[in-house]
Amino acid sequence: MPKVTIDGEEIDVVAGTTILQAAMKRGREIPHYCYHDGLSISGNCRMCLVEVEKAPKLVIGCYTPVAEGMVVHTASAKVKQARSAMMEFFLVNHPLDCPICDQAGECRLQEYAVEHGTGTSRYTEPKLALSKAVDIGPHVMLDQERCIQCSRCIRFCDEITKTGELAFFQRGERSQIGIFPGKRLDNAYSGNVVDLCPVGALTLKEFRFKTRVWYLKNTATICAGCARGCNVVVSVGQQQTTMTTRGQIDDRVKRIVPRVNEAVNAHWICDDGRMSYTKEQGAARLEAARIGKAAATYDAAVAAAAAKLATASRAGKLGVIASPRALSEDLYAWREVALRLGGATFGARSLVSGANDSLLVRADKGANARGAAWIFGATASEDAVLAAVAKGVVTTLLVLGDTLDPADTLALPAAAKGKVEVIFAGPFASGAAVDAAVAIPSASWSEADGAYVNFEGRAQRVLRCHLPLGEARPGWRIAADVAAAAGVPLPEWADAEDVLRALSQSVREFEGVTAESMGLLGVAAPAAAGV
Amino acid sequence: MERILTRNVDKPEALTLSGYEALGGYQALRKALSSMTPDAVTEEVKKSGLRGRGGAGFPCGLKWSFMPKEVDPKRPHYFLINADESEPGTFKDRLLMEKDPHLVLEGSLLGAYAIRAKAVYIYIRGEFVHEAKVLDRAVAEAYARNYAGANILGSGWSCDLVVHRGAGAYICGEETALMSSLEGNRGYPRLKPPFPAASGVWGCPTTINNVETVANVPFIIERGADWYLTVGKAPKNTGPKLYCLSGHVKRPGVYEAPLGLPMRELIYELGGGMLHADRPLKAVIPGGSSVPVLRAEDCDVDLDFDALAAKGTMLGSAGVMVMDSSTCMVAAMARIAHFYHHESCGQCTPCREGCGWLERVLNRIETGKGMQPDLDLLLSVSNNIIGNTICALGDAAAMPAISFVTKFRDEFQHHIDHRSCLTGTLALQGVR
Repeated sequence: MPKVTIDGEEIDVVAGTTILQAAMKRGREIPHYCYHDGLSISGNCRMCLVEVEKAPKLVIGCYTPVAEGMVVHTASAKVKQARSAMMEFFLVNHPLDCPICDQAGECRLQEYAVEHGTGTSRYTEPKLALSKAVDIGPHVMLDQERCIQCSRCIRFCDEITKTGELAFFQRGERSQIGIFPGKRLDNAYSGNVVDLCPVGALTLKEFRFKTRVWYLKNTATICAGCARGCNVVVSVGQQQTTMTTRGQIDDRVKRIVPRVNEAVNAHWICDDGRMSYTKEQGAARLEAARIGKAAATYDAAVAAAAAKLATASRAGKLGVIASPRALSEDLYAWREVALRLGGATFGARSLVSGANDSLLVRADKGANARGAAWIFGATASEDAVLAAVAKGVVTTLLVLGDTLDPADTLALPAAAKGKVEVIFAGPFASGAAVDAAVAIPSASWSEADGAYVNFEGRAQRVLRCHLPLGEARPGWRIAADVAAAAGVPLPEWADAEDVLRALSQSVREFEGVTAESMGLLGVAAPAAAGV
Repeated sequence: MERILTRNVDKPEALTLSGYEALGGYQALRKALSSMTPDAVTEEVKKSGLRGRGGAGFPCGLKWSFMPKEVDPKRPHYFLINADESEPGTFKDRLLMEKDPHLVLEGSLLGAYAIRAKAVYIYIRGEFVHEAKVLDRAVAEAYARNYAGANILGSGWSCDLVVHRGAGAYICGEETALMSSLEGNRGYPRLKPPFPAASGVWGCPTTINNVETVANVPFIIERGADWYLTVGKAPKNTGPKLYCLSGHVKRPGVYEAPLGLPMRELIYELGGGMLHADRPLKAVIPGGSSVPVLRAEDCDVDLDFDALAAKGTMLGSAGVMVMDSSTCMVAAMARIAHFYHHESCGQCTPCREGCGWLERVLNRIETGKGMQPDLDLLLSVSNNIIGNTICALGDAAAMPAISFVTKFRDEFQHHIDHRSCLTGTLALQGVR
């Protein structure tokens, strides 16, 4: 391993590591725009210039591999001068329209201008006028004036999606990012170019002008869109300063962006996952409990549900069908209720549509399908339960509704209607909730803590991003209340972590899965290790 | 002196293969293929001291010796000829291609043989339509007589010859941008390393030489390196050189002379002296527009790589541009800056943003709108470009700016102070 000295600190690094990566490993960021961990190296922004002793001129840290005995200075006078020169060049033709720019607050241009700029510009000539608000795809808008031509978006479309919609057009200072004539930036991952853009040149239609980023509350969680379980950050609009700003305090999801996890999704998420929250928002939520069509108190609904479930299970006529997006904790708690009552048939829905793509998207849209199979048993299928309904074996059905998409909540087949009484717990007033004998609102995906297990058997931590709407409670809490009302109380659980502890002791595959072991990046459950 | 490189330029028969052969052509190639190994050719060129004529003056034989000695069948070797001659003030390669195309081909084939190339690509500037046609005809003839193609002259070595026309971008004369362009991509220079010998065009080992450079090779092979060393200033500035003389002289044109020709001899003897008797020499750009300018008093210098380097400038492409006392140095520099602004590829930040900035400031000064901080600004912006870019185009824009402003600062200052010109050019009256 080559030994290099970076700013006086001697370190060992793996051969082939670049100066920028070596410095980053020691917690020292060398400023950069075009370099990105997930893309090829283009070396064109020139922001990461550093001084290497005995080299005739400054070298770019992103491209230059470390070599034995190399002595690097990342903050010498020469380097600082070059950085402030680059900052000045970047701003020569940049419109500096920060007050109306969505990137403001998370803009590399702003950050580095503060850190490495001079604070003034000597450029007094007219700036180039280029196109603004160019609609280049279903999700992405382009502002050519703000672009600093780092080429990350071009490389993403060339190297990751291999769709090649974007390119540089024109030459010199007139060169600009653009889309090939007749093309749209409409690949399944187009939103990633917005995250990649270090400035405000590429913005997301669904997010632009919605809020200022400093009013967002960010939560590291897991996308519920499919069985991949991409690591994401969910941003919720929330007022976090004493300054009141209209429209900031709605506490709803404003956007979803990817979170780096090399073992799951690397740096990216698909557009469906990015927009998944929009299916949840605006959909008809089950805001309060109901018995039949009449509104009821939560306690009354719980008591009614408990009575019906107990009666059915005594007769051996209870069935359970759960959404494969339900949290492991909820599935486990409901399973415990049914087991304590006895005699239930279990099934998890299967949400398979389309095919796996070559990057991230899985055909199985059940974000916790694997977890459900572990908890309910691999053979517990929705079809088996519905067959039992058709035969009249099951006459009372506990339906745990979908947490992300109202359209994915179980709707009973016409033949089953009238034959079965539905007890419903879920976030949406759709599908089986409509004619349920008892319906209890539960928290949606972004409203509760818990664990998802992805298709590879990796347990990952889902975190509450904002408060549940209306009377909605976490599913496991409702299960515990129903169990108590039915006279088969579950252990005293204070929070989802307590439920997970019980789950990990009860279901073999979850052994060793805890909030700590999952951490931010999840943990491959021991049972999956051999799979 | 004996004309070597240009011996055929006034002989129309050289345009045909049989005419070129009758003039002694293709003997060097026959000699190499029948009696020399590729390494022996490289060794002879190394011994001759031939330095690249494209601008940087890198030793040619040394460059060839960087190529792998064994050819990996999956990664064939390529020999590229840089015929993208676009540097303002430079017009030597087009003379050779237009008047003696087979000399260019013979030199190219010798280089290709030395580096064990599978093919030669001659990347020719898009505007050279006529020269490309001449070369195409010559290539067809060379194939017909088995100087190119399969099993050349029965030697067992096969090599294709392709003339590829560029689309008119100056940047494509930069060797790695040329490769990108040849591959069908945007003409962007590449990061180095890898150098072309390790990974060049299509990721294969590649050598790239200027047209004039390879035109020297047949003479080195035919007459020997020892003869070559007697031409010019051995050991480091050997061989004949084509000088492109332009500007305020009586007889501008291409002149061949041994390397190390005194500049005054080129201007006052070969070039017939200054155009107007009453306008003395003011300045000379000795190597194409990208090199630092020389004041008249610095012009007692030999035109070779090292003598000019000692004067703080470069031989470059040997485009010698002569300016007399009527020249406004502000206008001249503004025009040069316009060129580099127009030709910057835009890939990397300092050149993309800096070249336009330089031109705009220079235009302001030239048109009487200069401000006092402008001269220091020009120097500072130039220094912020130099050395910080991917390729040398940024340096090419910044170096002349620094030399013009430093060496003729009083003229620039006069423009700013008096909103008028010491030499009375018409730009200030709105005429350019």
